[in-house]
Amino acid sequence: MQHLANVTELRARVDEPAIKVDGLSHVYAGADGGVAALLDITLAVGKGRFVVIVGPSGCGKTSLLMMLAGLRQPSQGTISCLGRPIPKPDPQRVGVIFQEASLFPWLSTLDNIEFPLSLRGVARAERRRRSEAMLRLVGLEGFGERYPHELSGGMKQRVSIARGLVQDPPLLLMDEPFAALDEQTRMTMGHELLRIWSTTQKTVVFITHSLTEAVYLADEVLVMSARPGRIIDHIQVTLPRPRSYEMMATEAFGQLRERIWQQIRKAA
Amino acid sequence: MSRPTPATVRWLLLGLLIILWEVVPLTGVLPELFLPALSKTLAVLYSDREIYFAALLVTLYEVACSMLIACGLGILVGALVGGTALLRNLLLPVFSSLYAVPIVILYPIFTAWFGVGSSSKIAFAGVYGFFPVMLSTAAGIRTIDPQFLLAARSMGANLVQQITRVIIPASVPTVFAGLRLGGALTIIGVVVSEMLTASAGIGYLVTLNRTILDSPRVFAGILAILVLSIAYYMLARALETRMVVWQSAGRQQRSASGVGTAGMPAPAAA
Repeated sequence: MQHLANVTELRARVDEPAIKVDGLSHVYAGADGGVAALLDITLAVGKGRFVVIVGPSGCGKTSLLMMLAGLRQPSQGTISCLGRPIPKPDPQRVGVIFQEASLFPWLSTLDNIEFPLSLRGVARAERRRRSEAMLRLVGLEGFGERYPHELSGGMKQRVSIARGLVQDPPLLLMDEPFAALDEQTRMTMGHELLRIWSTTQKTVVFITHSLTEAVYLADEVLVMSARPGRIIDHIQVTLPRPRSYEMMATEAFGQLRERIWQQIRKAA
Repeated sequence: MSRPTPATVRWLLLGLLIILWEVVPLTGVLPELFLPALSKTLAVLYSDREIYFAALLVTLYEVACSMLIACGLGILVGALVGGTALLRNLLLPVFSSLYAVPIVILYPIFTAWFGVGSSSKIAFAGVYGFFPVMLSTAAGIRTIDPQFLLAARSMGANLVQQITRVIIPASVPTVFAGLRLGGALTIIGVVVSEMLTASAGIGYLVTLNRTILDSPRVFAGILAILVLSIAYYMLARALETRMVVWQSAGRQQRSASGVGTAGMPAPAAA
């Protein structure tokens, strides 16, 4: 029960944003002058918030996420993660979890989770201790010595989450992490993610195509337009937490989902 | 009665082949010049064991040296060509089309340059085995999932770490496939060049005895090379399985039923 109290406390001080994006635009260089991918994006994500970005395919959601992770630099505008710009990836500040398994098939589950730590030269015993703790957190005890090809899609995604969390970054970016999973596994994983989120108190930016997933997970939903991507709606999801599957059948849930759908339809 | 496993069938076929090799010449259907009995071949191999052993050592030495050249240079050049766009665009089409040239036609040039001794065999077989190693190394590096590199960068990997921790392990399976093929080609290269112009080696013994129509001694040489190739193949497979645990395990899962036919050696496409 103690962690619930902490979460509430955390919710109370959302005044200082974890992510601030100001006037961000991006143009991809091309032979015929380039393609505008993102246009004048301004947003703020409060600490400990779960923010979901939805939008039509090719609207630049992933580009935006890459920039928040320091993997790509915008043509214009500024990004600040936890008060500082992010000119290159900084895994201790921002963890990234990618779509489908970007796990390394030549490493065992534990070695995969430890990978970011071993890049920094963390001692072996310390690495093991932390990766095993992460394995427990995502509910995969006993699978540490398995290789990715021996795991199911949902299990692989759990390992990815564990790998993203192992450095304990306060910010977690997720790029359609459950897109490759079947509907049932996807719902279970969403629920699981909320459980992990509530125990770790991370700030999460989550990209998805699924409107149900968006409403189910989010504190706030940002709707993006078709290319060049702009933010056209900012929806507060006021459904109570912890969320349950039963909420999906409620009228409030349906209305939120419908509102996002209307926005996306207009945008596409 | 249950159906025999593919492995059992393979061993039975091998046994049948050996029995036929012994029995058919005895019936007199084939003259001894065409096919001497297995027992006679083995007897010759035993009585001439010193000659054959010395020849085998020469052949083994040449194979080892040319494998070293083929694998070393192949991996080095393949990594450079696969890793840099400029070299790739410049050289890959050239190398790919060279691969189709029957390089054996160049062997006379090798003997002119390196003489009739071991050096010309090593050089020729080295070049012969170089191409598959180099091409598969280049392909292995080129076809790495960009998602792996993106993930590594997001986790803070610098350029050196991207190479050692991602690019190298990710390309190991493809490189190994090239090494297995390249190694088999160097054996072929050595034996063929020994048969063409040489003064030592198993290939030389085969040619020598063929010209004097000593059939059992020809077959003794063939048997020696057969054993050498199969030993090489099994060694390469064992090494590959150990090195690429994650990949071979996946492959076994996928084709658990079809191992029988897919597992047999097929490097005879010289």
